[in-house]
Amino acid sequence: MSNITQQSIQSPITPTWCPGCGNFGILGAIKQAFVQMAMPEENLVVVYGVGCSGNMADFNRVYGFHSLHGRAISNAMGIKMANHKLKVIVVAGEGDTYGEGLNHLISAARGNHDITVLVHNNQTYSLTTGQSSPTTFKGTATKSTPDGLIEEPMNPLTMALAAHAGYVARAYAGNMAQLINLVKAALNHEGFALVDVLQPCPTFNKVNTYQWFQQKVYDLDKEGYQPYDQRLAWEKAMETEKIPVGLFYHDPSLLAYHKHLSQLEKQSLLEQRAEKISLEKPFQAFV
Amino acid sequence: MMKWNWKIAGQAGEGVMVVSRMVAQLAKRHGLYAFNYLEYPSLIKGGHQTGQVLFSDKPVFSQQRELDVLIAFGKAAFKEHVKEITKKTIVIYNQNAGDLTAEDTNDCQGKIINLPLNEFARRATKTKLATNTVAFGITTAIFGFDKKVSLSLVSEAFVGKGEEVIKTNHAAFMLGYEAILAELSPLHEFKVATDNQVITTGNEAVGLGALAGGVQFYSAYPMTPASAAMHFLADQQKNYPLIVKHVEDEIAAINQAIGASYAGVRSMTGSSGGGFALMVEGLSLAGITETPLVILYGQRPGPATGLPTWTSQADLQFILRAGHGEFQRVVLTPGTIAEHYELTKLAFDLAEKYHIPVFIVSDKYALESHQTWQQPPTEVEVKKLSYMADKDLSADDSYLRYSLEAEDGISPRSVPGQPHGLYISNSYEHDPSGYATEDADMTRQQTEKRAEKYNGLIKEIPQPELIGPKDAPTTFVCWGSTVNVLKDLVAMTDKVNVIHLPCVWPFPSNAFIELAAKAQRLVMVEGNHTGQGEQLIRQETGITFKENLRRFDGRPFYAEDILNWLEQ
Repeated sequence: MSNITQQSIQSPITPTWCPGCGNFGILGAIKQAFVQMAMPEENLVVVYGVGCSGNMADFNRVYGFHSLHGRAISNAMGIKMANHKLKVIVVAGEGDTYGEGLNHLISAARGNHDITVLVHNNQTYSLTTGQSSPTTFKGTATKSTPDGLIEEPMNPLTMALAAHAGYVARAYAGNMAQLINLVKAALNHEGFALVDVLQPCPTFNKVNTYQWFQQKVYDLDKEGYQPYDQRLAWEKAMETEKIPVGLFYHDPSLLAYHKHLSQLEKQSLLEQRAEKISLEKPFQAFV
Repeated sequence: MMKWNWKIAGQAGEGVMVVSRMVAQLAKRHGLYAFNYLEYPSLIKGGHQTGQVLFSDKPVFSQQRELDVLIAFGKAAFKEHVKEITKKTIVIYNQNAGDLTAEDTNDCQGKIINLPLNEFARRATKTKLATNTVAFGITTAIFGFDKKVSLSLVSEAFVGKGEEVIKTNHAAFMLGYEAILAELSPLHEFKVATDNQVITTGNEAVGLGALAGGVQFYSAYPMTPASAAMHFLADQQKNYPLIVKHVEDEIAAINQAIGASYAGVRSMTGSSGGGFALMVEGLSLAGITETPLVILYGQRPGPATGLPTWTSQADLQFILRAGHGEFQRVVLTPGTIAEHYELTKLAFDLAEKYHIPVFIVSDKYALESHQTWQQPPTEVEVKKLSYMADKDLSADDSYLRYSLEAEDGISPRSVPGQPHGLYISNSYEHDPSGYATEDADMTRQQTEKRAEKYNGLIKEIPQPELIGPKDAPTTFVCWGSTVNVLKDLVAMTDKVNVIHLPCVWPFPSNAFIELAAKAQRLVMVEGNHTGQGEQLIRQETGITFKENLRRFDGRPFYAEDILNWLEQ
């Protein structure tokens, strides 16, 4: 048993993202968070979606599961229920999480499954070469919406609040120190946690650039904001002129899904795997 | 061989299905064999519903059309089944539903006995809800069953509802019991006998088989006819280290099961056609990540919503082909209810050993019908298959999850939590460590590695079974639940035998060709319009069928119909 270090988590593969991609900052922050948490390397599972974000699967040496587009949360929930002693984090994009797999996000939050969902939100579909995403601004012309997007962007934070998420945060890929802290706190929160990470895509998103974000984002912490009131969190999440980042809402009192299951009181499912099984009880109902 | 055929017909909500199961159970407790077949529409109240029980001193596996006894709760219930009434049929008609006119009874050859069933129920319990208990009393008396057994079954049915409910239902039972004895003498006299049988539906047998196979995680979304497997297992969470998760959709169902399986517990999902259609991408994920998975597939007629509460065998080719890309799978097609138990247990071993998805393909007919079967040993062993032991995971972290040096394509897996077993399970094509690759050689080698599982599987799958006299002039071929009907046909005539396929993929070509070569006349019997099993046999063996029987109206085959077809 050895803890994760910067060396141990290094995979033999060099990242293939575009120069200047926000993913580099997110990868660095995630690794730093894992290292700072002094976790045994075998007790962490990272479940990846499919997209530029999910390609991080090759750049970390961890127990990993590179899922289908949109389904990482479902795999993660299964992993956590099978062995709740693992730390489970989902790394996926906004297409994965707010588009293709939104149903799973809502269910995971409602059930308060103890997983952290970290969403790379670059407001564009990049791996498929630049179409609109669920968070693209209305009116944006993309390859799939040449005359401008008709839909309003969805708001992941209010969505998560409405689904009873107990930890709701927004970070910015350009602020690593804050992102590291938010990821650590999310992983330490025993229950569902959403960390929406705003990030530029220098190749396909010419609107939401580093410069654009630098002018827009402001830190909730520095405002003296207290993240314990759902209504306040909702109000903050609705701001669009300036973009607040930081922890919007935190309720540590909610009981995680696996804590409701009496069959997990003493041991994980995995630990309870039996070599000998008696069927006497269930057969009694059929005589 | 003595056999009796009993039917009850009424509206949904009148307790027809409950009492039908009790009659089958009653026969079992007298040492008899029974089969209980239920028909009902996709609604909660109203609509025509039936339960029918065939019971015998010899094993019976299917339903029969010609009735010994019909209990009709209403006029529609009577008229719907007039054609099943023969000269020897006793019809108990609920006269509280309105007297039968001469026109109503015109085509009825049987003996009609009018009894006020609702009134009996009201007299004993103050409501007509207990009409089915009255019917149970009548049934007990007609066949000469031991009424002590029946009364204890009534008590068991109302356990937890209070002494008063049990007492009044016993009274309702007795009113029916005594009223019919005033009209006729019992057809027979059965003695209580100890038996070593159980009586379950296919769904319950699958659930029991899953427990025997060490299931620890079952995720599903309700869909007839597979929902009851989830209900059964959900109820077993109190007895076993098992989680049953009713999820938001079937996509989540298969993906949560895959996640749990990746983490090292035996996992399963279940659905019918429409639900499984949503799981197909996940199936492919299990294929490339080499994650063990058991899938219960309960067929019902499609396309789309189709006939939700009726039966079908029309999804075979879909199941064989489901999932993009090429990967190994096993498709088990159990016939009898006992076989549902055995093959579900086997499915877990095959899935875990070979790191593949394994299907248990059944249908509404088998999953929701009750059958008596020999109780198997209650103490079972579950081995750990194709895992890396902690001690074999080298401290230099050189473990390769998808090693190409794998006998029959099986590369043992580690699970999260095991030191030095780190790897990435990848939906992308990958190298031996699991990292994504687009290399041509590696793609070919990993594809071949997964394909090699076939070599081991073909030696382990259940083989085709020949039922009946070896030299019969006609050989019927079937897969899945149809064998139940054909087993009863074999008991009716010595002129037929049957080849039953309990596994259709990998296809057991050698064994099938050997059996088919001895047949004088081959007839395929299956529940679809396009001959999907026939297509498969032709594809895998070159054998073509000159004759076939296909049914695709949502109803099961009847042995009597096939016998008539044979004689014409």
